[in-house]
Amino acid sequence: MAVEAHVTERSAESAARIQRHAGIDRLFHWVTAVAVLALLATGLLPVVGVEFSWVTIHWMTGLVLTLLVLFHLVRSLFWQRPKCMLIRPRDVSEALQAARAKPGEPVRLPGKYTLAQKLMHLALGLAVVVAVVTGVIMLAKIDTPFWKRDPYLLAAGTWGVVYLLHGLAALATLTLVMIHIYFGLLPEKRVYLRAMTRGWVTREELGAYHDLERWPGRRAGRS
Amino acid sequence: MELVRVSRDVWGQEVLEGVSWDLLPVAFGIGAVVIVGHAIWRLVRRRARS
Repeated sequence: MAVEAHVTERSAESAARIQRHAGIDRLFHWVTAVAVLALLATGLLPVVGVEFSWVTIHWMTGLVLTLLVLFHLVRSLFWQRPKCMLIRPRDVSEALQAARAKPGEPVRLPGKYTLAQKLMHLALGLAVVVAVVTGVIMLAKIDTPFWKRDPYLLAAGTWGVVYLLHGLAALATLTLVMIHIYFGLLPEKRVYLRAMTRGWVTREELGAYHDLERWPGRRAGRS
Repeated sequence: MELVRVSRDVWGQEVLEGVSWDLLPVAFGIGAVVIVGHAIWRLVRRRARS
């Protein structure tokens, strides 16, 4: 009897759970996080005087990040709904309306992602793509087992622009990663952290911040 | 504070080297200001609601 009640309770609990991130997307997120932190550490610690042999770790991790970005691009375009991440004017107006609303006043809730989450994705995505593209070009300046260096691939001034963009992308990534980690650790945002570690949110949690009806991929089986 | 690093080539012309690392504390500072600012706003809002 007790076992039956426990099983019923467990199945009711799992029925109330909604998958927010598939396992492959969670794995992508955490491997990317490790790669970005390793790249920031190996790229910026020597700048502040921490001397170590960083170039090999940096370019190898950069190649891993490049593959991860390509994977994410393909997966999001063909297996997910990239429209979920688009920032539309109505996202801004609804977020402003929600911010101005008095307690208890009804507001339109967002779909899978809030405006803040979309903005963070856009900003971090841009910074990482700029860092990856310029980093791939910079690979021409180092010898590896796969190719010989060719520092004359670009003119000196063009190399300067490539290095400038790479550095700016690194600095922007540092700022954005700090903010991303802070918001991920806030008690009221832990639901998103759990969604990124275990994959699910409960229907109740979702209802507090999101509108299931505006999460179109869910009904079509795409996240 | 410099925004970019420049050097001179063999002909004495200025060549862009990349972003100035003077901006590293600025990037860190912007992150810290957003975090501290939000934490203060969150505390004030919570007190106002209770």
